[in-house]
Amino acid sequence: MIQQNLEIKNRLGLHARPAALIAQTAAGFTCDISLEKDGVTVNAKSIMGVMMLAAEHGSSLQLSTNGPDEKSAFEAIKALFDNNFNEEF
Amino acid sequence: MLVLKGLPASPGIAIGPAVLLPGEVVSVSRQYIGENEVNSELEKIHQAIQKTFAEISACEEKVHQELGAEYANLMGTHKLILQDPMLQSSLTHKIQHEFLSAQAALFLTLQELAAPFDKIEDPFFKERRNDIFDVGKRLATNLSGDKQHFLASIKKSSLLVAHNLYPSDTIHLQANKIIGFCTDVGGKTSHTALLAQSLKIPAVVGLGTASKDVHAGDTLIIDGENGLLVINPDRYTLSNYRKIQRELKKTEALLKTINHLPVITQDGHPVKLFVNYDPRTDNKDNKRLITDGLGLLRTEFIFMNTPKPPTEDEQYQVYLAVAKRFDMRPATIRLADLGGDKIPDFHLDELAQDDNPFMGCRGIRLFLKNPELLHTQLRAIVRTACEVPAQVRIMIPMVSSVEEVRHVRVAFDQVLQEFAQAGKHPVNKIALGAMIEVPSAALALDGMIGELDFVSIGTNDLIQYLVAVDRVNQEVAHMYDPCHPAVARTLNLIIQTAHKRGKKVTICGELASDSKMLPLLLGLEVDGLSVTPRMYLRVKNNIRHSNFEHCADLAQAALLMSSSDEIRNLIEQNDEHENP
Repeated sequence: MIQQNLEIKNRLGLHARPAALIAQTAAGFTCDISLEKDGVTVNAKSIMGVMMLAAEHGSSLQLSTNGPDEKSAFEAIKALFDNNFNEEF
Repeated sequence: MLVLKGLPASPGIAIGPAVLLPGEVVSVSRQYIGENEVNSELEKIHQAIQKTFAEISACEEKVHQELGAEYANLMGTHKLILQDPMLQSSLTHKIQHEFLSAQAALFLTLQELAAPFDKIEDPFFKERRNDIFDVGKRLATNLSGDKQHFLASIKKSSLLVAHNLYPSDTIHLQANKIIGFCTDVGGKTSHTALLAQSLKIPAVVGLGTASKDVHAGDTLIIDGENGLLVINPDRYTLSNYRKIQRELKKTEALLKTINHLPVITQDGHPVKLFVNYDPRTDNKDNKRLITDGLGLLRTEFIFMNTPKPPTEDEQYQVYLAVAKRFDMRPATIRLADLGGDKIPDFHLDELAQDDNPFMGCRGIRLFLKNPELLHTQLRAIVRTACEVPAQVRIMIPMVSSVEEVRHVRVAFDQVLQEFAQAGKHPVNKIALGAMIEVPSAALALDGMIGELDFVSIGTNDLIQYLVAVDRVNQEVAHMYDPCHPAVARTLNLIIQTAHKRGKKVTICGELASDSKMLPLLLGLEVDGLSVTPRMYLRVKNNIRHSNFEHCADLAQAALLMSSSDEIRNLIEQNDEHENP
């Protein structure tokens, strides 16, 4: 299992579009992928779960991947965070 | 006649008979099923999901063509919600193990999924609940076999009244006979409000009880200009609104043609027309506007909804993106006006206990007590100015004395020096100006103007402080009066004082886009106005139809008047004369 804390750096936080990006990306992997914020853990493959976190700018999420392709899944989701979900700011 | 007040979501006036959207509660015809029915109920859900998926895909296509990629993304989100493992596993579980009917399983699942969103305080995230219900409602419609879509069945031009309206509903409006709509709930950040604007039909949201107060067939006026709903208007009101509606329609068509024309009065007096820009609510129409530059960037939003103050880098990213938008034109960034009703999440001692926040530690007062906040914001702005060719201008909010200006000037010079030592210099000299909104600053401006590069007038607060009226207090709200003689005289004093020293004055605030007040402002020789993108072309059009000499006469007359009523009569008569 891989775990790491990631920070939301885009100004609007995990609104509908970034949440969709995460869920879509996560759905491409077979391993379990979860995000945790303030004690709430959700399935990253669920767009509703991700939106439910109401993760605003500056908040920190714990990403966990667990399963056969956990490494590539981890890298793929982390890349979304690193690139601010392709948003301008 | 009954008038309800809500929030204007999309401008324009619509008049017509009311139709009521049937309630949003998903009706459940049958609660429980037998063990032998599990498979057929699962199959029903499966079919409904497939059908809904096809519908949303078709909708996505249509939205993409008519409204652009931004809104099509929304439909993509709806597809993901439909395929969401949480939704699907909950439905399956409820049917297989709790022996609920497909309808009941859907109803309960929606309630469960939406519940966490109700607890979220941030309106932006809370609104996402509607996306879930929207998908759920489509699914329920397909599940119940009720294919007759209510909106498609409307035959004559009508105004739609709903408790809540979902994005997919608003999309159906365009092809139909809905010429305006209003809802009980909804905020300015809702998809519904945004879609309404792109559909260009008038809309008012947040009316509270409209869906209960209106009966099908009632005559309605939806006033998207002022956020009003008039139910069964009397004859006088109706004819008045018809007149306004005709004017608006004429203007709307005309406005499209003046975008590239200069902002100049009939008799050749030029006026700078800036835009109040908010990067969070940008859209295609705004991007098409040709403006004289950015007149006011409110920066408070960068400091809100965040557990700690934004860093220089975070602020810089915002300012850079904004300044690039305005290429070589002025880009006016106001230092954060925190305090008052803008309380950030992070702790500031000065804001902890304040019984009278509008007279308390807000704007520059707060920043001078927290020099690190001022320093960080100044650095972010100067850093931006080193990168872009825009004429970056810094505006100080809530100035009440010359000492405050001097303190900011010292901090600003220090930041410039820091950058100079690192070998960096602003592309253009950065102008430092003040927002004049406190009467003491207006009265003593002559002692302050030498230290300022430009002056902006924040009319909302200036009027509030001049007449000592809290606009939120129902007992005195009517006394908040832009026609008070003190307002015209104070504006005149500020403008004349600045002009004597060769400094320019811009008016921000609601007054700048009030068409009746415009002749007075122009006549007082204001150099520029800054208005929202939504009002931009209207104000431009009004300026282009004004006669400066006539405005100047009007202003001189107003300055001699001693009561609000006299001034109000003067501008009303002028308005009727100009716009009969």
